[in-house]
Amino acid sequence: MFKNRKSLFQKIAIFLAILGPGIITGSVDNDAGGITTYSVAGAVYGYNLLWTLIPSFIVLVVIQEMNARMGIVTGKGLADLIRENAGVKATFFIFSGLLIGDIGNTTTEFAGVAGSMEVFGVSKYISVPIIGILVWILVVKGTYKIAERIFLLFSVSLLMYVVSALMGKPHWGEIGHAIISPQLEVNTQSMAMIIGIIGTTIAPWMLFYMQSSVIEKGLDMKQYKYSLVDIVVGCTATVVVAFFIIVACASTLHVNGTIINEAKDAALALKPLAGAIASQVFAFGLFIASIFSATILPLATSFYVCEAFGFEAGIDKKWDEAKEFYTLYTSILILSGGIILLPNAPLILISLWSQVINGMLLPVVLVCMILLVNNKKIMGKYVNKPINNIISWVTIIALTGLSLTLLFLKLFS
Amino acid sequence: MTTITTFYLSRIVGIKAYDSNEKYVGIVKDLLVESESSNLTSGHPAVTGIKIKHNNQLSFYSFQQFRVEKVNGKIKIIATQLTNLPEENINNDLSLIESVLDKQIVDINGRKLVRVNDVRLVSLVNGTFAVAVDIGVEGLLRRIGIAKPLKFGLSLVGSDMPGKFINWNDFEAIDFSNLNIKLSKTYKKLQTLHPSDLADIIEELGKKASAEIFSSLDDEKAADVMEELEPETQVQILESLSIEKAADVLDKMPADEVADILDGLEDEKIELLLNEMEEETSQDVRELLVYPDHTVGSIMSSEFMSFNLNMTIEEVLNELRRTKPESETLYNLFVTDESDVLLATFSIRDVVITPPDTQINRIMKPSPVHLRDYQKINEVAEIVSKYNLLAIPVVDNKNVLKGMVVIDDVIEDLIRKRRTNK
Repeated sequence: MFKNRKSLFQKIAIFLAILGPGIITGSVDNDAGGITTYSVAGAVYGYNLLWTLIPSFIVLVVIQEMNARMGIVTGKGLADLIRENAGVKATFFIFSGLLIGDIGNTTTEFAGVAGSMEVFGVSKYISVPIIGILVWILVVKGTYKIAERIFLLFSVSLLMYVVSALMGKPHWGEIGHAIISPQLEVNTQSMAMIIGIIGTTIAPWMLFYMQSSVIEKGLDMKQYKYSLVDIVVGCTATVVVAFFIIVACASTLHVNGTIINEAKDAALALKPLAGAIASQVFAFGLFIASIFSATILPLATSFYVCEAFGFEAGIDKKWDEAKEFYTLYTSILILSGGIILLPNAPLILISLWSQVINGMLLPVVLVCMILLVNNKKIMGKYVNKPINNIISWVTIIALTGLSLTLLFLKLFS
Repeated sequence: MTTITTFYLSRIVGIKAYDSNEKYVGIVKDLLVESESSNLTSGHPAVTGIKIKHNNQLSFYSFQQFRVEKVNGKIKIIATQLTNLPEENINNDLSLIESVLDKQIVDINGRKLVRVNDVRLVSLVNGTFAVAVDIGVEGLLRRIGIAKPLKFGLSLVGSDMPGKFINWNDFEAIDFSNLNIKLSKTYKKLQTLHPSDLADIIEELGKKASAEIFSSLDDEKAADVMEELEPETQVQILESLSIEKAADVLDKMPADEVADILDGLEDEKIELLLNEMEEETSQDVRELLVYPDHTVGSIMSSEFMSFNLNMTIEEVLNELRRTKPESETLYNLFVTDESDVLLATFSIRDVVITPPDTQINRIMKPSPVHLRDYQKINEVAEIVSKYNLLAIPVVDNKNVLKGMVVIDDVIEDLIRKRRTNK
């Protein structure tokens, strides 16, 4: 009677319904901070840092797969699991770091909003307050879900970087050559750049976000393979966009020896080299990415902090029911938007230190994650396979090494 | 010792225990208290056992020979004698660290999940008891170790940190997901909650805990809760139950709800469940499953009461008393002919205010507003609102009465639509 009810069409429908966590996470990943890092990497080092995207991709897939698996098996958020198994002190340390780092990151997002709108001739004193209030209303007034979908649609505009890159007429032969044997001087700057690229691709808050989205979808182990496809698609999108941003800046700015500090500079510098359209496309992509992340980051951060400390949280709750959550959310927005509006705000310093905090926090969160995902009491038969553990531990050791080196270099040079 | 000592779990875990000769016994790791299944003599559960680590070895001792003292504000724990705790207690008693501290519990009065920051205990002459759980900010700060200086600072400006406690009798511990031993818990206190509240709580819980709580409910309650759950959670819970238990729960639910839930399952699972269910219910469900989504048939209820137009009010009442229908079935009654073709409707109000020997055809309202089973759902809300109806009969293309759509289902559909548009 019910035979053949699930045709190919239905399989696609299932996939589309499950689709999301990985792809949205992937899109948020290329935020203002990411775009800045990739642009500077391309402008300064040309094609020579493209290879870093390969290990980034592998690590990204491995980590997100663990998040998805933990979410599916336990039905609990990463913040919940850490609190329940690591106690209050460790939780307090992790989430204080996460909070400070994310305020810094959100500031970077608003810097992206300000910068991209300046390319179109709009002052930051107009763009930042307007966007800040819009983002706030979007979440507090509960129209967040529809906003998420619009953003997802807009995040396709990130693929505009492909257009922007092609307009700069890149040398494909050189690109291939640079990936296989990069010409890279090993010094403090190049080290910092590599850490920057990996650090911006794998942000600590992303791990929490990924796991919560999987739970929200209510997936079970039968849908695991669809979830895996979703993750791979999302990670691929992240890396492809990053690739083309680097290429766009490398084939124009680097060749001409233009030095940039911000993503906005990249957009402005593209104008004489690749045309006004390429410049505007670049700025528009930055604008969208910045708003997307400026919405999700403060929201996600407040959610995990409340989850870990046992306060009510969620956008489906009313203000009175979840006072701590909304207060925290509003404070993060006001604080980070406010910093941008300060004249002579030390933006580069802020983005640098939030990257450092992220870099230090990531190994800690990863260690917690690996301990949790290998715990038979929590994961049952779905504990990590040896290959997951090897890749994860290598990542942790490499990241810790890199972060400590970065910290050391920044403090003593 | 006649003094009363109150102390917090966080102050005692991790400290060193000594015996009466000041000899080191080990580090306190955990306390066990009577679980709800044992008969509580006083209002609060007594501490039965203590887990102690000595030379990397964990052992459980009976707490009866332990004493808790407060010396100069410091908590000391003294063992007069070390007696091993019986295996039965180790397995059945509630571990404060594993199942209460840092875990989510159900606040029965507040009807929601809260997280435990600390546990408050009291030591009396006749034993030590768990009194309450601390769910406030003060508990958090105490754990981080900054509660005292902060409180002192606040007292300077004439302010205080309000504590937030839940009495031991007003919550239910639910998180046993980190344990290997399977406790057959009854969750007695949860049974007192309204099915909607219970459903909200189950949705917020992790998978193991939600499945365990659900299967502890009796079939009747489980069916009520199942109806209130979100579709994703319904599927998730059903998958976690045995086929027999799942079928028992579904049997207690209206056929249209069952059909909705089954839609989310795999074909083989649907067949298994339908075969296990009672013949009568599963037949209704099978009929409903045929209707595609977004048609009236997919949301209609197939439970309704229809009568012959020559019957008297007396006979109708007797029939209603015999079948004892649910209230939503009872409010809207239908009149059909021998081949089940819909003729008219009448309400329970008409029945109540009419003399018993009157025939139905005297009070019925002929040619009623009705829906077709393959009609689109989005037209229903308008009709309901236009004619001020509580329920509308549904007929097929031969005008045979198939079921009815109740206003509740229409609202549910509207809410779901609004939510997905968000």
